[in-house]
Amino acid sequence: MIIKAGNIRKGSYILFKGSPHLVTQADFVSPGKGSAFMRSRLRSIKTGNTQEFTFKSVEPVEEVEVQSQKMQFLYNDGDSAVFMNGQTYEQVEVPLALIGDKAKILTPDIQVHVMFYEGQAVDINFPPKITLQVVQAEEAVAGNTMGTARKLVTVESGFELLAPLFVKEGDFIAINTDTLQYDSRVNK
Amino acid sequence: MNQKNWQKIRENKQFLQPFLVREKVIDAIREFFKKEGFHEVETPLLVQSPGTEPYLEVFESTLVTPGFENKKAYLLTSPELSMKKLLAAGTGSIFTICKSFRNGEGISSFHNPEFSILEWYRVDADYTDVMKDCEDLLLFILKKLELNANGKNKLEYQATEYDLSSPWERISVSEAFQKYAGVSKEDMLDEKKIVKIAKSKGYLVSEFTTWEEAYNQILLNEIEPHLGKSKPTILYDYPASQAALSKKKDSDPRFAERFEFYLAGIELGNAFSELTDADEQEARMVADLQYRKELGKVEYKIDSDFISALRLGLPRTGGIAVGVDRLVMLFANVPSIKDTLLFPVDDVFDYVGRLFPGVV
Repeated sequence: MIIKAGNIRKGSYILFKGSPHLVTQADFVSPGKGSAFMRSRLRSIKTGNTQEFTFKSVEPVEEVEVQSQKMQFLYNDGDSAVFMNGQTYEQVEVPLALIGDKAKILTPDIQVHVMFYEGQAVDINFPPKITLQVVQAEEAVAGNTMGTARKLVTVESGFELLAPLFVKEGDFIAINTDTLQYDSRVNK
Repeated sequence: MNQKNWQKIRENKQFLQPFLVREKVIDAIREFFKKEGFHEVETPLLVQSPGTEPYLEVFESTLVTPGFENKKAYLLTSPELSMKKLLAAGTGSIFTICKSFRNGEGISSFHNPEFSILEWYRVDADYTDVMKDCEDLLLFILKKLELNANGKNKLEYQATEYDLSSPWERISVSEAFQKYAGVSKEDMLDEKKIVKIAKSKGYLVSEFTTWEEAYNQILLNEIEPHLGKSKPTILYDYPASQAALSKKKDSDPRFAERFEFYLAGIELGNAFSELTDADEQEARMVADLQYRKELGKVEYKIDSDFISALRLGLPRTGGIAVGVDRLVMLFANVPSIKDTLLFPVDDVFDYVGRLFPGVV
Protein backbone atom coordinates (compact mmCIF):
# COMPACT_ATOMS: atom_id res chain seq x y z
CA MET A 1 0.00 0.00 0.00
CA ILE A 2 1.28 3.47 -0.87
CA ILE A 3 1.09 5.97 1.97
CA LYS A 4 2.45 9.47 2.50
CA ALA A 5 5.74 9.59 4.38
CA GLY A 6 4.06 11.96 6.85
CA ASN A 7 1.91 9.01 7.94
CA ILE A 8 4.61 6.50 8.68
CA ARG A 9 4.77 5.53 12.33
CA LYS A 10 7.16 3.80 14.59
CA GLY A 11 6.43 0.11 14.01
CA SER A 12 5.50 0.52 10.31
CA TYR A 13 7.25 -1.66 7.74
CA ILE A 14 8.18 0.16 4.53
CA LEU A 15 10.22 -0.37 1.39
CA PHE A 16 13.26 1.91 1.45
CA LYS A 17 15.54 1.90 -1.60
CA GLY A 18 13.85 -1.32 -2.64
CA SER A 19 14.46 -3.19 0.58
CA PRO A 20 12.08 -3.82 3.53
CA HIS A 21 12.73 -1.81 6.68
CA LEU A 22 11.12 -1.46 10.08
CA VAL A 23 10.53 2.14 11.18
CA THR A 24 12.03 2.32 14.68
CA GLN A 25 11.57 6.05 15.07
CA ALA A 26 9.54 8.64 13.20
CA ASP A 27 9.58 12.31 14.10
CA PHE A 28 7.82 15.19 12.43
CA VAL A 29 10.19 18.05 11.61
CA SER A 30 9.71 21.46 9.96
CA PRO A 31 13.11 23.04 9.49
CA GLY A 32 13.03 26.72 10.41
CA LYS A 33 9.27 26.96 9.98
CA GLY A 34 9.67 25.39 6.51
CA SER A 35 7.48 22.71 5.00
CA ALA A 36 6.84 19.40 6.75
CA PHE A 37 9.32 16.52 6.76
CA MET A 38 9.42 13.13 8.45
CA ARG A 39 12.70 12.15 10.09
CA SER A 40 12.89 8.40 10.44
CA ARG A 41 15.19 5.73 11.76
CA LEU A 42 14.95 2.60 9.65
CA ARG A 43 16.18 -0.89 10.41
CA SER A 44 16.66 -3.32 7.58
CA ILE A 45 14.74 -6.50 8.33
CA LYS A 46 17.24 -8.40 6.19
CA THR A 47 20.51 -7.26 7.77
CA GLY A 48 19.53 -5.50 11.00
CA ASN A 49 21.48 -2.41 9.87
CA THR A 50 20.04 0.90 10.94
CA GLN A 51 20.06 4.23 9.11
CA GLU A 52 18.38 7.60 9.29
CA PHE A 53 16.45 9.22 6.48
CA THR A 54 14.30 12.33 6.30
CA PHE A 55 11.40 12.20 3.86
CA LYS A 56 9.26 15.03 2.59
CA SER A 57 5.93 14.49 4.35
CA VAL A 58 4.11 14.38 1.01
CA GLU A 59 6.48 11.78 -0.47
CA PRO A 60 4.81 8.47 -1.37
CA VAL A 61 6.22 5.49 0.49
CA GLU A 62 5.33 1.83 0.04
CA GLU A 63 4.20 0.03 3.15
CA VAL A 64 4.92 -3.70 3.12
CA GLU A 65 2.84 -6.42 4.61
CA VAL A 66 4.22 -8.35 7.53
CA GLN A 67 2.43 -11.25 9.22
CA SER A 68 2.59 -11.93 12.91
CA GLN A 69 2.17 -15.18 14.78
CA LYS A 70 1.98 -15.64 18.55
CA MET A 71 4.78 -17.97 19.64
CA GLN A 72 6.55 -19.17 22.74
CA PHE A 73 10.26 -18.58 23.35
CA LEU A 74 12.26 -21.81 23.77
CA TYR A 75 15.96 -20.98 23.86
CA ASN A 76 18.74 -18.87 22.45
CA ASP A 77 21.51 -20.74 20.62
CA GLY A 78 23.92 -17.80 20.42
CA ASP A 79 23.04 -16.81 16.84
CA SER A 80 19.28 -17.09 16.89
CA ALA A 81 16.37 -17.18 19.29
CA VAL A 82 14.12 -20.21 18.80
CA PHE A 83 10.34 -19.95 19.11
CA MET A 84 7.52 -22.51 18.90
CA ASN A 85 3.92 -22.28 17.78
CA GLY A 86 1.91 -23.73 20.72
CA GLN A 87 -0.71 -25.31 18.43
CA THR A 88 1.35 -26.76 15.58
CA TYR A 89 4.64 -27.21 17.52
CA GLU A 90 6.34 -25.71 14.49
CA GLN A 91 9.64 -24.02 15.42
CA VAL A 92 11.28 -20.96 13.90
CA GLU A 93 14.62 -19.26 14.39
CA VAL A 94 14.93 -15.48 14.49
CA PRO A 95 18.50 -14.17 14.07
CA LEU A 96 19.64 -12.25 17.17
CA ALA A 97 21.04 -9.54 14.90
CA LEU A 98 17.47 -8.74 13.90
CA ILE A 99 16.07 -8.85 17.43
CA GLY A 100 18.73 -6.56 18.87
CA ASP A 101 18.80 -5.69 22.57
CA LYS A 102 15.26 -6.96 23.09
CA ALA A 103 16.71 -10.49 23.16
CA LYS A 104 17.96 -9.64 26.65
CA ILE A 105 14.48 -9.74 28.17
CA LEU A 106 13.44 -13.10 26.72
CA THR A 107 12.62 -15.63 29.42
CA PRO A 108 11.63 -19.27 28.87
CA ASP A 109 8.00 -19.77 27.84
CA ILE A 110 7.33 -16.03 27.31
CA GLN A 111 4.78 -15.41 24.53
CA VAL A 112 5.73 -12.92 21.84
CA HIS A 113 4.60 -12.07 18.33
CA VAL A 114 7.05 -13.34 15.73
CA MET A 115 6.95 -11.20 12.59
CA PHE A 116 7.23 -12.82 9.15
CA TYR A 117 8.09 -11.13 5.86
CA GLU A 118 7.71 -13.30 2.75
CA GLY A 119 7.77 -16.37 4.97
CA GLN A 120 10.97 -15.42 6.80
CA ALA A 121 10.94 -14.68 10.54
CA VAL A 122 12.41 -11.19 10.78
CA ASP A 123 11.60 -9.76 14.20
CA ILE A 124 9.68 -10.23 17.42
CA ASN A 125 7.23 -7.95 19.16
CA PHE A 126 6.60 -7.86 22.89
CA PRO A 127 3.58 -6.41 24.65
CA PRO A 128 4.31 -2.77 25.66
CA LYS A 129 5.37 -3.89 29.15
CA ILE A 130 6.48 -7.17 30.62
CA THR A 131 6.94 -8.14 34.24
CA LEU A 132 10.17 -9.79 35.35
CA GLN A 133 11.52 -10.74 38.78
CA VAL A 134 14.57 -9.00 40.22
CA VAL A 135 17.18 -11.63 41.05
CA GLN A 136 19.92 -9.27 42.18
CA ALA A 137 19.87 -5.69 43.47
CA GLU A 138 22.52 -3.52 45.05
CA GLU A 139 21.78 -2.23 48.55
CA ALA A 140 20.49 1.33 48.49
CA VAL A 141 22.97 3.88 49.79
CA ALA A 142 21.48 5.65 52.81
CA GLY A 143 20.93 9.38 52.55
CA ASN A 144 20.57 9.35 48.78
CA THR A 145 16.84 8.92 48.37
CA MET A 146 15.88 12.12 46.56
CA GLY A 147 16.43 13.14 42.99
CA THR A 148 17.15 10.80 40.16
CA ALA A 149 19.22 8.30 42.13
CA ARG A 150 19.10 4.88 40.52
CA LYS A 151 20.83 1.58 41.09
CA LEU A 152 21.66 -1.41 38.98
CA VAL A 153 19.39 -4.46 39.25
CA THR A 154 19.46 -7.80 37.41
CA VAL A 155 16.24 -9.49 36.32
CA GLU A 156 15.61 -13.20 35.78
CA SER A 157 16.55 -13.12 32.10
CA GLY A 158 20.02 -11.89 33.13
CA PHE A 159 19.34 -8.36 31.84
CA GLU A 160 20.76 -5.49 33.92
CA LEU A 161 18.99 -2.16 34.15
CA LEU A 162 18.69 0.92 36.33
CA ALA A 163 15.81 1.03 38.80
CA PRO A 164 14.79 3.29 41.70
CA LEU A 165 16.50 2.69 45.04
CA PHE A 166 13.44 1.10 46.68
CA VAL A 167 13.50 -1.93 44.34
CA LYS A 168 14.64 -5.04 46.21
CA GLU A 169 15.71 -8.55 45.32
CA GLY A 170 12.61 -10.70 44.78
CA ASP A 171 10.45 -7.75 43.62
CA PHE A 172 8.61 -7.92 40.32
CA ILE A 173 9.15 -4.95 38.05
CA ALA A 174 7.51 -3.90 34.78
CA ILE A 175 9.94 -3.11 31.97
CA ASN A 176 9.04 -0.96 28.98
CA THR A 177 9.82 -3.32 26.10
CA ASP A 178 10.39 -0.45 23.72
CA THR A 179 13.00 1.48 25.68
CA LEU A 180 14.12 -1.49 27.85
CA GLN A 181 13.85 0.82 30.82
CA TYR A 182 12.30 0.37 34.25
CA ASP A 183 8.63 1.27 34.25
CA SER A 184 7.18 0.48 37.67
CA ARG A 185 7.13 -1.96 40.57
CA VAL A 186 4.42 -4.60 40.35
CA ASN A 187 2.61 -6.09 43.35
CA LYS A 188 2.22 -9.83 42.94
CA MET B 1 -2.65 1.90 28.49
CA ASN B 2 0.19 4.32 29.07
CA GLN B 3 0.12 6.26 32.29
CA LYS B 4 -0.27 10.01 32.18
CA ASN B 5 2.39 12.19 33.72
CA TRP B 6 0.27 13.17 36.75
CA GLN B 7 -0.43 9.48 37.39
CA LYS B 8 3.26 8.58 37.15
CA ILE B 9 4.13 11.32 39.62
CA ARG B 10 1.44 10.13 42.01
CA GLU B 11 2.93 6.66 41.91
CA ASN B 12 6.55 7.72 42.16
CA LYS B 13 7.77 11.17 43.16
CA GLN B 14 10.93 10.63 41.10
CA PHE B 15 8.90 11.50 37.98
CA LEU B 16 8.62 15.01 39.39
CA GLN B 17 12.36 15.55 38.90
CA PRO B 18 12.31 16.98 35.33
CA PHE B 19 9.64 19.44 36.42
CA LEU B 20 11.80 20.66 39.30
CA VAL B 21 14.54 21.21 36.72
CA ARG B 22 12.02 23.05 34.54
CA GLU B 23 11.20 25.41 37.39
CA LYS B 24 14.89 26.15 37.94
CA VAL B 25 15.62 26.66 34.22
CA ILE B 26 12.84 29.24 34.00
CA ASP B 27 14.04 30.99 37.17
CA ALA B 28 17.55 31.10 35.72
CA ILE B 29 16.31 32.56 32.40
CA ARG B 30 14.53 35.37 34.27
CA GLU B 31 17.53 36.06 36.47
CA PHE B 32 19.86 36.15 33.46
CA PHE B 33 17.86 38.70 31.47
CA LYS B 34 17.13 40.95 34.46
CA LYS B 35 20.86 40.96 35.23
CA GLU B 36 21.45 41.94 31.57
CA GLY B 37 19.08 44.92 31.95
CA PHE B 38 16.11 43.50 29.99
CA HIS B 39 12.47 44.16 30.94
CA GLU B 40 10.12 41.21 31.08
CA VAL B 41 6.90 41.88 29.15
CA GLU B 42 3.62 40.04 28.60
CA THR B 43 2.03 39.91 25.17
CA PRO B 44 -1.39 38.59 24.05
CA LEU B 45 -1.83 34.93 23.09
CA LEU B 46 -5.20 35.55 21.42
CA VAL B 47 -4.79 37.83 18.41
CA GLN B 48 -6.52 39.03 15.25
CA SER B 49 -3.45 38.68 12.99
CA PRO B 50 -0.90 36.04 13.84
CA GLY B 51 2.46 35.75 12.07
CA THR B 52 2.37 35.10 8.34
CA GLU B 53 4.80 32.15 8.07
CA PRO B 54 3.34 30.14 5.18
CA TYR B 55 3.86 26.64 6.58
CA LEU B 56 2.62 27.20 10.13
CA GLU B 57 -1.01 26.48 10.86
CA VAL B 58 -2.98 28.30 13.54
CA PHE B 59 -5.75 27.47 16.01
CA GLU B 60 -8.88 29.44 15.20
CA SER B 61 -11.48 30.76 17.57
CA THR B 62 -14.07 33.55 17.70
CA LEU B 63 -14.12 36.62 19.88
CA VAL B 64 -17.74 37.22 20.90
CA THR B 65 -18.62 40.60 22.38
CA PRO B 66 -22.35 41.36 22.92
CA GLY B 67 -23.42 44.29 20.80
CA PHE B 68 -20.47 43.98 18.45
CA GLU B 69 -19.78 41.96 15.37
CA ASN B 70 -18.04 38.64 16.13
CA LYS B 71 -14.34 38.67 15.30
CA LYS B 72 -12.21 35.81 14.15
CA ALA B 73 -9.47 35.19 16.69
CA TYR B 74 -6.33 33.08 16.54
CA LEU B 75 -3.84 31.67 19.02
CA LEU B 76 -0.45 33.05 18.11
CA THR B 77 2.40 31.01 16.66
CA SER B 78 5.00 33.31 18.28
CA PRO B 79 4.90 36.63 20.17
CA GLU B 80 7.25 38.31 17.67
CA LEU B 81 4.87 40.92 16.24
CA SER B 82 3.76 42.24 19.65
CA MET B 83 7.36 42.30 20.86
CA LYS B 84 8.41 44.49 17.94
CA LYS B 85 5.53 46.92 18.55
CA LEU B 86 6.96 47.37 22.05
CA LEU B 87 10.45 47.95 20.64
CA ALA B 88 8.99 50.67 18.41
CA ALA B 89 7.33 52.09 21.53
CA GLY B 90 10.80 52.51 23.01
CA THR B 91 10.88 49.90 25.78
CA GLY B 92 14.52 49.05 25.15
CA SER B 93 15.70 45.43 25.42
CA ILE B 94 12.85 43.08 26.37
CA PHE B 95 12.10 39.40 26.88
CA THR B 96 9.02 37.25 27.32
CA ILE B 97 8.28 33.62 28.21
CA CYS B 98 4.88 32.61 26.87
CA LYS B 99 2.89 29.81 25.31
CA SER B 100 2.71 29.57 21.54
CA PHE B 101 0.49 27.32 19.47
CA ARG B 102 0.96 25.47 16.20
CA ASN B 103 -1.76 23.33 14.71
CA GLY B 104 -1.55 20.40 12.35
CA GLU B 105 2.04 19.43 13.14
CA GLY B 106 3.01 15.79 13.24
CA ILE B 107 3.97 13.71 16.21
CA SER B 108 7.52 13.99 17.46
CA SER B 109 9.75 13.94 20.52
CA PHE B 110 10.35 17.65 19.95
CA HIS B 111 6.88 19.03 19.21
CA ASN B 112 3.74 19.71 21.22
CA PRO B 113 0.90 21.81 19.75
CA GLU B 114 1.12 24.12 22.78
CA PHE B 115 4.67 24.95 23.83
CA SER B 116 6.69 27.57 25.67
CA ILE B 117 8.73 30.15 23.80
CA LEU B 118 11.38 32.43 25.20
CA GLU B 119 11.88 35.48 23.00
CA TRP B 120 14.36 38.21 23.65
CA TYR B 121 15.22 41.35 21.71
CA ARG B 122 18.44 43.23 22.36
CA VAL B 123 18.44 46.81 21.06
CA ASP B 124 21.44 48.48 19.45
CA ALA B 125 22.55 44.97 18.55
CA ASP B 126 22.51 42.46 15.72
CA TYR B 127 22.45 38.67 15.40
CA THR B 128 26.11 38.31 16.43
CA ASP B 129 25.26 39.87 19.81
CA VAL B 130 22.39 37.37 20.15
CA MET B 131 24.85 34.52 19.45
CA LYS B 132 26.83 35.74 22.46
CA ASP B 133 23.62 35.94 24.54
CA CYS B 134 22.85 32.30 23.70
CA GLU B 135 26.29 31.17 24.84
CA ASP B 136 26.06 33.19 28.05
CA LEU B 137 22.50 32.06 28.80
CA LEU B 138 23.19 28.33 28.50
CA LEU B 139 26.29 28.62 30.66
CA PHE B 140 24.34 30.65 33.22
CA ILE B 141 21.61 27.98 33.41
CA LEU B 142 24.23 25.25 33.76
CA LYS B 143 25.78 27.10 36.70
CA LYS B 144 22.43 27.86 38.36
CA LEU B 145 21.44 24.18 38.16
CA GLU B 146 24.70 23.35 39.91
CA LEU B 147 25.58 21.09 37.00
CA ASN B 148 28.87 22.91 36.56
CA ALA B 149 30.45 22.11 39.92
CA ASN B 150 33.76 21.15 38.29
CA GLY B 151 33.82 24.38 36.25
CA LYS B 152 34.26 22.44 33.00
CA ASN B 153 31.06 23.67 31.33
CA LYS B 154 30.07 20.10 30.47
CA LEU B 155 26.45 19.01 30.08
CA GLU B 156 25.57 15.34 29.97
CA TYR B 157 22.60 14.55 27.73
CA GLN B 158 21.44 11.00 26.95
CA ALA B 159 24.82 9.50 27.81
CA THR B 160 26.85 11.98 25.70
CA GLU B 161 28.86 14.86 27.11
CA TYR B 162 28.61 18.28 25.47
CA ASP B 163 30.91 21.24 26.01
CA LEU B 164 28.97 24.47 26.41
CA SER B 165 32.10 26.67 26.62
CA SER B 166 32.23 29.80 24.50
CA PRO B 167 32.83 30.14 21.59
CA TRP B 168 30.45 27.61 20.06
CA GLU B 169 31.01 26.18 16.61
CA ARG B 170 29.87 28.65 13.92
CA ILE B 171 29.27 27.65 10.31
CA SER B 172 27.33 29.46 7.59
CA VAL B 173 24.63 27.67 5.60
CA SER B 174 26.64 27.94 2.38
CA GLU B 175 29.82 26.64 4.08
CA ALA B 176 27.81 23.74 5.49
CA PHE B 177 26.34 22.85 2.08
CA GLN B 178 29.83 22.84 0.62
CA LYS B 179 31.45 20.95 3.50
CA TYR B 180 28.85 18.28 4.22
CA ALA B 181 26.84 17.95 1.01
CA GLY B 182 29.38 19.03 -1.65
CA VAL B 183 26.98 21.68 -2.98
CA SER B 184 28.38 25.07 -3.94
CA LYS B 185 26.82 28.35 -2.87
CA GLU B 186 25.72 29.17 -6.41
CA ASP B 187 24.15 25.75 -6.97
CA MET B 188 22.39 25.88 -3.61
CA LEU B 189 20.70 29.18 -4.50
CA ASP B 190 19.64 28.07 -7.99
CA GLU B 191 16.22 26.41 -8.01
CA LYS B 192 16.79 24.25 -11.08
CA LYS B 193 20.28 23.19 -10.06
CA ILE B 194 19.45 22.22 -6.48
CA VAL B 195 16.44 20.16 -7.55
CA LYS B 196 18.65 18.39 -10.10
CA ILE B 197 21.33 17.79 -7.46
CA ALA B 198 18.70 16.41 -5.07
CA LYS B 199 17.61 14.01 -7.79
CA SER B 200 21.16 12.85 -8.49
CA LYS B 201 21.64 12.27 -4.75
CA GLY B 202 18.71 9.82 -4.85
CA TYR B 203 15.96 11.95 -3.29
CA LEU B 204 12.51 11.61 -4.74
CA VAL B 205 11.96 14.54 -7.06
CA SER B 206 8.89 15.36 -9.13
CA GLU B 207 7.92 18.25 -11.36
CA PHE B 208 6.34 19.82 -8.26
CA THR B 209 9.47 19.65 -6.09
CA THR B 210 10.24 23.18 -4.92
CA TRP B 211 13.55 24.84 -4.17
CA GLU B 212 12.55 24.86 -0.48
CA GLU B 213 11.92 21.10 -0.43
CA ALA B 214 15.17 20.20 -2.18
CA TYR B 215 17.18 22.62 -0.03
CA ASN B 216 15.63 21.42 3.22
CA GLN B 217 15.83 17.73 2.37
CA ILE B 218 19.57 18.05 1.77
CA LEU B 219 19.91 20.18 4.90
CA LEU B 220 18.06 17.64 7.05
CA ASN B 221 19.71 14.51 5.65
CA GLU B 222 23.26 15.62 5.05
CA ILE B 223 23.96 18.68 7.19
CA GLU B 224 21.91 18.61 10.38
CA PRO B 225 23.32 15.26 11.57
CA HIS B 226 26.74 16.99 11.84
CA LEU B 227 25.54 19.91 13.95
CA GLY B 228 25.83 20.21 17.73
CA LYS B 229 27.66 16.88 18.06
CA SER B 230 30.11 17.71 20.84
CA LYS B 231 29.28 21.34 21.47
CA PRO B 232 26.52 23.68 20.29
CA THR B 233 26.62 24.73 16.62
CA ILE B 234 25.41 28.06 15.29
CA LEU B 235 24.26 27.73 11.67
CA TYR B 236 24.04 31.24 10.22
CA ASP B 237 23.33 33.34 7.10
CA TYR B 238 20.32 31.64 5.54
CA PRO B 239 19.14 32.15 1.98
CA ALA B 240 17.01 35.32 2.08
CA SER B 241 13.82 33.42 1.18
CA GLN B 242 14.17 31.42 4.41
CA ALA B 243 14.11 34.43 6.70
CA ALA B 244 10.83 36.30 6.62
CA LEU B 245 11.51 38.84 9.34
CA SER B 246 15.24 39.28 9.11
CA LYS B 247 17.53 41.86 7.59
CA LYS B 248 19.41 40.98 4.40
CA LYS B 249 23.19 40.99 4.48
CA ASP B 250 24.71 44.18 3.16
CA SER B 251 27.62 42.22 1.68
CA ASP B 252 25.39 39.68 -0.17
CA PRO B 253 21.64 40.37 -0.16
CA ARG B 254 20.91 36.83 -1.39
CA PHE B 255 21.44 35.88 2.27
CA ALA B 256 19.81 37.11 5.46
CA GLU B 257 21.20 37.66 8.95
CA ARG B 258 19.49 34.71 10.55
CA PHE B 259 20.88 31.88 12.66
CA GLU B 260 19.69 28.75 14.39
CA PHE B 261 21.54 26.92 17.10
CA TYR B 262 21.68 23.19 17.63
CA LEU B 263 22.75 20.87 20.40
CA ALA B 264 22.48 17.09 20.52
CA GLY B 265 20.46 17.00 17.30
CA ILE B 266 17.90 19.43 18.71
CA GLU B 267 17.15 22.77 17.05
CA LEU B 268 16.92 25.14 20.00
CA GLY B 269 16.44 28.64 18.66
CA ASN B 270 15.96 30.85 15.63
CA ALA B 271 17.42 34.36 15.55
CA PHE B 272 17.49 37.40 13.29
CA SER B 273 19.00 40.79 12.86
CA GLU B 274 15.53 42.22 12.74
CA LEU B 275 14.19 43.69 9.54
CA THR B 276 13.37 47.35 10.23
CA ASP B 277 12.26 48.39 6.72
CA ALA B 278 8.45 48.69 6.83
CA ASP B 279 7.90 48.57 3.06
CA GLU B 280 9.99 45.48 2.59
CA GLN B 281 8.36 43.78 5.60
CA GLU B 282 4.89 44.54 4.27
CA ALA B 283 5.76 43.20 0.83
CA ARG B 284 7.14 39.97 2.34
CA MET B 285 4.07 39.49 4.52
CA VAL B 286 1.68 40.07 1.63
CA ALA B 287 3.60 37.48 -0.39
CA ASP B 288 3.51 35.05 2.57
CA LEU B 289 -0.25 35.45 2.96
CA GLN B 290 -0.69 34.83 -0.76
CA TYR B 291 1.39 31.67 -0.45
CA ARG B 292 -0.65 30.59 2.59
CA LYS B 293 -3.73 30.86 0.39
CA GLU B 294 -2.13 28.69 -2.30
CA LEU B 295 -1.19 26.11 0.34
CA GLY B 296 -4.78 26.06 1.62
CA LYS B 297 -3.84 27.37 5.06
CA VAL B 298 -6.14 29.46 7.26
CA GLU B 299 -6.33 33.01 5.89
CA TYR B 300 -6.25 36.18 7.96
CA LYS B 301 -5.35 39.83 7.62
CA ILE B 302 -1.90 41.30 7.82
CA ASP B 303 -1.15 42.93 11.20
CA SER B 304 -1.27 46.53 10.01
CA ASP B 305 -0.43 47.75 13.50
CA PHE B 306 2.88 45.92 13.20
CA ILE B 307 3.66 47.58 9.87
CA SER B 308 2.82 51.03 11.27
CA ALA B 309 5.08 50.32 14.25
CA LEU B 310 7.91 49.62 11.80
CA ARG B 311 7.12 52.87 9.99
CA LEU B 312 7.55 54.77 13.25
CA GLY B 313 10.97 53.22 13.50
CA LEU B 314 12.45 50.14 15.13
CA PRO B 315 15.85 50.47 16.77
CA ARG B 316 18.63 48.30 15.35
CA THR B 317 17.77 45.02 17.11
CA GLY B 318 18.83 41.39 17.32
CA GLY B 319 16.14 38.95 18.44
CA ILE B 320 15.53 35.26 18.93
CA ALA B 321 12.89 32.64 19.78
CA VAL B 322 14.07 29.69 21.89
CA GLY B 323 12.05 26.57 22.69
CA VAL B 324 11.92 26.49 26.48
CA ASP B 325 10.65 22.90 26.63
CA ARG B 326 13.56 21.75 24.47
CA LEU B 327 16.01 23.57 26.76
CA VAL B 328 14.44 21.76 29.70
CA MET B 329 14.83 18.43 27.85
CA LEU B 330 18.56 19.04 27.68
CA PHE B 331 19.09 20.21 31.24
CA ALA B 332 16.78 17.56 32.74
CA ASN B 333 18.38 14.91 30.50
CA VAL B 334 15.08 13.48 29.23
CA PRO B 335 14.55 12.10 25.70
CA SER B 336 11.18 13.65 24.85
CA ILE B 337 9.39 16.96 25.18
CA LYS B 338 6.59 14.94 26.80
CA ASP B 339 8.83 14.46 29.83
CA THR B 340 9.09 18.23 30.31
CA LEU B 341 5.37 19.03 30.14
CA LEU B 342 3.15 18.15 33.12
CA PHE B 343 0.30 17.80 30.63
CA PRO B 344 1.62 16.86 27.17
CA VAL B 345 -1.04 16.79 24.47
CA ASP B 346 -1.43 12.99 24.73
CA ASP B 347 -2.45 13.39 28.37
CA VAL B 348 -5.03 16.04 27.52
CA PHE B 349 -6.69 14.66 24.38
CA ASP B 350 -7.62 11.02 23.88
CA TYR B 351 -6.90 11.10 20.15
CA VAL B 352 -3.82 8.96 19.84
CA GLY B 353 -5.47 5.54 20.04
CA ARG B 354 -8.16 6.57 17.61
CA LEU B 355 -5.92 8.08 14.96
CA PHE B 356 -3.27 5.43 15.09
CA PRO B 357 -4.71 2.02 15.88
CA GLY B 358 -2.09 -0.20 17.38
CA VAL B 359 -0.28 2.59 19.18
CA VAL B 360 -0.81 1.99 22.89
